[in-house]
Amino acid sequence: MPTDTKRVRGPETSQSPLLFWSRPAKVLPSHGPRADGRQRDQVDVRPVFVRCGLVSQAKGSAYIEAGSTKVLCCVYGPRETERKDETDMKSGRLTTDMRFAPFSCPERGSWIQGSQDKDFSLMLQESLQPAVCLHKYPRSQIEVNVMVLENSGSVLAHAVTCASMALADAGIEMYDLVLGCSLRQDGGSYVVDPMYPEENSWRSGSGEKQGGLTVAFLPSLNQVSGLQSDGEMAEETLTAGIRTCIEGCYKLYPVIQQALIKAVRRAALPPAES
Amino acid sequence: MATVQVSEAEKVYILHGIRDDLRVDGRGCEDYRHMEVETDVVSNTDGSAKVTLGHTAVLVGIKAEIGKPRPMIANQGYLEFFVDCSANATPEFEGRGGEELGTELSNTLYKVFNNQHSLDLKSLCISPGEHCWVLYVDVLLLQCDGNLYDAISVAIKAALFNTKIPKVHISSDEEGGKEIELSDDPYDCMRLDVENVPCIVTLCKIGHRHVVDATLQEKACSVASLIISVTHKGIITCSRKVGRGSLDPESICEMIEAGKRVGKALHPPLMKLLQQEESLGNKRQKVGFLG
Repeated sequence: MPTDTKRVRGPETSQSPLLFWSRPAKVLPSHGPRADGRQRDQVDVRPVFVRCGLVSQAKGSAYIEAGSTKVLCCVYGPRETERKDETDMKSGRLTTDMRFAPFSCPERGSWIQGSQDKDFSLMLQESLQPAVCLHKYPRSQIEVNVMVLENSGSVLAHAVTCASMALADAGIEMYDLVLGCSLRQDGGSYVVDPMYPEENSWRSGSGEKQGGLTVAFLPSLNQVSGLQSDGEMAEETLTAGIRTCIEGCYKLYPVIQQALIKAVRRAALPPAES
Repeated sequence: MATVQVSEAEKVYILHGIRDDLRVDGRGCEDYRHMEVETDVVSNTDGSAKVTLGHTAVLVGIKAEIGKPRPMIANQGYLEFFVDCSANATPEFEGRGGEELGTELSNTLYKVFNNQHSLDLKSLCISPGEHCWVLYVDVLLLQCDGNLYDAISVAIKAALFNTKIPKVHISSDEEGGKEIELSDDPYDCMRLDVENVPCIVTLCKIGHRHVVDATLQEKACSVASLIISVTHKGIITCSRKVGRGSLDPESICEMIEAGKRVGKALHPPLMKLLQQEESLGNKRQKVGFLG
């Protein structure tokens, strides 16, 4: 029988095998310790590695690693604003751009910014803006670029922390640092700083009350600068979740302070000594 | 976003008024403006509704189309949201000016409906993994006078209530092929259960208090607001801080509590109104756009 060798004899449409392969792993136990040994119902954030000043071209930069979530942030500016039509020239503009590397998630993403990335950028901007003394930078703009190298959950929270460090590293005047923490509610219990499978397990799960929450917090002013939640939560659960996230932010605070002090010391040292 | 210029003196006036629970238009801090809802306003849609809240006017049209279910959730249909900021509302939206606000609004709507109970998506499935109904929810902003979120959410709930999806039957022939048959009777259609569809409540922090349904003038006085979407049972499906300011954790808790109370109270009169309008059938007097 003659066959057309040039034609691919597969089905017309296909799906990634990953989609079917990962399905059994999607059902995570809702009790007992978590996959990486952390505890449920406790403010158990992942240990973080943070460092400032990696990108020499940028005015300020920072890198954060929590578990395998890796986020890099660069700050450029303040420089003259591009948009002259803005009516409010007395204060500066903060622009944010958050992108996911195509290889950052289990499924390949595209380089073009999707609507989800735009949403993250907006959330990042709203979380950072209250902390930056924008009135000190009239007619200028400050650009914050965040690149997610690897997404292993709680990306937005870590992006907020990373971006505020980069702003501090750039010497931009700020009222306070901004720290981010997220939480996933799963029925009666919750997990702080969820990992990627924990974040996405509920879509196929049962109809229990599940939801996600991300909080951006200014620790020394005791102000919440960013808040977003989805899923289903009762009022008490939501307010308790916000308090838990704030507690998580306080845990992060000394680590970030240390990293900033270290960066300042390194910059202050004359290069000949090292 | 459409903005108004408010002078310092006006700001102080509004601020002091709100401190004493008295707003410029005479409302209390947790009162809505006059709201008008009309369903079935566009005949080419499967469901439509127009909501006016003060001078804010929103038109929502829902179109149902047959599509392919998402591979991860093969037994459910899905919703697509698109918010168009018409240049009619404000000249700032001309060209691509309204795009940013449009994405912000539609992304929030996806979050509001991102749970199992808001809408029974399983009823939108025709045959698992192959065909499902996709509801395209298109929101058109006709006039902006503050509090877009609340008006849009009420309009979406009304439009979903009004949505009539034609009934389809699946028949399989001898060779195992499946065929979708549309019912001959145009009145033979499926309705959606909208009881659990949440409504969004926007709380604007002004001074030390928060107000519901802020006008543009009031919004110019506030630096941060909180939007929360509440179901009729008081479950919160989405919350988000918007604006350039920050909020105290204590006041967030107060605002969530107030938002839940206001949101819960919003549902029964809305459902009653929708059912009343529905029961009138053809006898209903249509108001339309110039009413």
